[in-house]
Amino acid sequence: MTTSLAQTKLKTHDSRLTTFQLSESAFAYLLNLPAILTVLLLVAYPIVDAFWLSLHRYNLRRPEAYAFVGLQNYVDVVTSGEFFPSLSVTLLFTFWSTFGVLLLALGMALVANEHIPQRPILRALILLPWAMSGVVTALMWKWIFNPNAGALNGLLYSLGIISHYRSWLLSPDTSYLAIISANVWNTLPFSALVLLAGLQAIPSELYDAAKVDRASLWARFRHVTLPWLSQPILIVLIVQALGGIRIFDIIYLLTGGGPGYQTTTLGFAAYITSFVSTDIGRGNAWAYTVALLTLVIAIFYMKLLYGRGDIRS
Amino acid sequence: MAAATSVHKRGVHAALRYGVPWRALLIHAASIVFILWIILPFAWVVLTSLMTEAESMSVPPHWIPDYITFDNYLSFINPALLVGKQRLAGGGAAIGAARAMLNSSIVALSVAILNMIIGSLVGYAFARLNFRGSTTLLLVYLATRMVPALAIMVSLYLVFQTLGLLDTLLALILSYLTFTVPYSVWIMASYFRSIPRDLEDAARVDRCNWINMMLRVFLPVASPGLVACAMFAFMSSWGEFLYALLFTSTMNSKTMPIIIASFVTDVDTSPVLMNAGGVLAVIPPLVLALIFQRLIVSGITAGAVKG
Repeated sequence: MTTSLAQTKLKTHDSRLTTFQLSESAFAYLLNLPAILTVLLLVAYPIVDAFWLSLHRYNLRRPEAYAFVGLQNYVDVVTSGEFFPSLSVTLLFTFWSTFGVLLLALGMALVANEHIPQRPILRALILLPWAMSGVVTALMWKWIFNPNAGALNGLLYSLGIISHYRSWLLSPDTSYLAIISANVWNTLPFSALVLLAGLQAIPSELYDAAKVDRASLWARFRHVTLPWLSQPILIVLIVQALGGIRIFDIIYLLTGGGPGYQTTTLGFAAYITSFVSTDIGRGNAWAYTVALLTLVIAIFYMKLLYGRGDIRS
Repeated sequence: MAAATSVHKRGVHAALRYGVPWRALLIHAASIVFILWIILPFAWVVLTSLMTEAESMSVPPHWIPDYITFDNYLSFINPALLVGKQRLAGGGAAIGAARAMLNSSIVALSVAILNMIIGSLVGYAFARLNFRGSTTLLLVYLATRMVPALAIMVSLYLVFQTLGLLDTLLALILSYLTFTVPYSVWIMASYFRSIPRDLEDAARVDRCNWINMMLRVFLPVASPGLVACAMFAFMSSWGEFLYALLFTSTMNSKTMPIIIASFVTDVDTSPVLMNAGGVLAVIPPLVLALIFQRLIVSGITAGAVKG
């Protein structure tokens, strides 16, 4: 009864639509229009504009001094003496975060793939750091590293591991460890879930066969698990590297780039130069170094997806 | 000789397997370590948020509060409770918390809804229509996802300044589309491809028009994909920090991450208010994550695998 009513209604609509026939391509682009506009206006234009600005002398405090200077801002950035330390902080931070996440995520995925009673707890808990934003993660670790009432000092002191309270975020070597551990804690779940999905895709017959052959635990891992995980591992590496290079909130909140320039990444330097020194031209040159590093990894990533046939129309 | 060793080795392995269950022990130990590694830091935040200010500052730290209070949470709703507090720096941020939760909700919900609309339109085009340049377009979306916010922040700032949108929620909503839309496009395109074509063929027999077909037939079937898309858009907008830091200046548009940041960066902040703020900020995404656990896990893996 209701369907027939709906159908008669729809028929009237339909007759109107047929008079207004679009070709399939035109219709597809019409559907893509809002997304294309978003990309063009909010991403493509700004990225071109940012490059254009990076070729100019442009300080918000002295807008009248605006002038085209070519690549001078890039030369200034690279010869400033801050560039190579920041580059090395960025790359080392990315390397150790990625390394730490990969090892822990692999362990976590292997454990979460076992039939143990605590499996549902572990799987639900993995979502906690994932749901937590970088800002709240930073808050949590700032409080843990607090030099007076923080948990880390309290715990290590009562266990007798340290003899006096320490300012973790103010000492050069531990501040570095602090930002890495906060980042690892925060980004671990994503990687663990990707690897877990990879593990679940491995046909169990392979393990049965390996067991029949009495392959050792290590041999089973080495010859069955790892080869099947190579793709998910590559994805974890790429996603972690992309995230590490553009790290901002954890640096801003935990160390503020300090002590000194000890934890100043390229991205943090871009922020400080653009919005604290209001030097838009040079700030964009800093930001473009982040973009270029990203580009290298992105090309690699696209090639990977292409190779697997994930990109198709 | 070699054979003898391997037989010997097998014997050892058999003994291990039937003697001490090393493998099971290792797995259980590791699972407990992982569970503690996730839960302990957050438990410390939750416990501190339930303490009185004096207790939270005690040295050595009290792990379990002697006296549990909800005043820290209540003071976000009722700033009158803050009057007695010495630490005004933290108090200032606390007064803004309720408004910031509202701002965050408006922004995250708007971004989620816009993503569902934009994502389903694009997803349908990629899943069902043959058109020139579709591969290139998909690559453009994928490339957009990788553009770092740091690289476009200054230009976006200048654009919003020119348009007079600084310190409005609209600026945040628009800037959050930059990283959510490309992701939604990928989720939706891959989800829509998994829906059998028979469905629309049946609808076409009924001579439905396209919008009716989408609303009545296609989208209801695709609702898990829609929910996943909305969920990711909501979560990434809820916690976003960089754009919020740059584009907001008053409580007119400050979101929860900015309130959290002012707690964290103030030297004089109250630890109990700070931690209560952190718990408050994590509740909405955490509740959503637990409700939609299955969808999120499949979404993460699909999103990661498909780009």
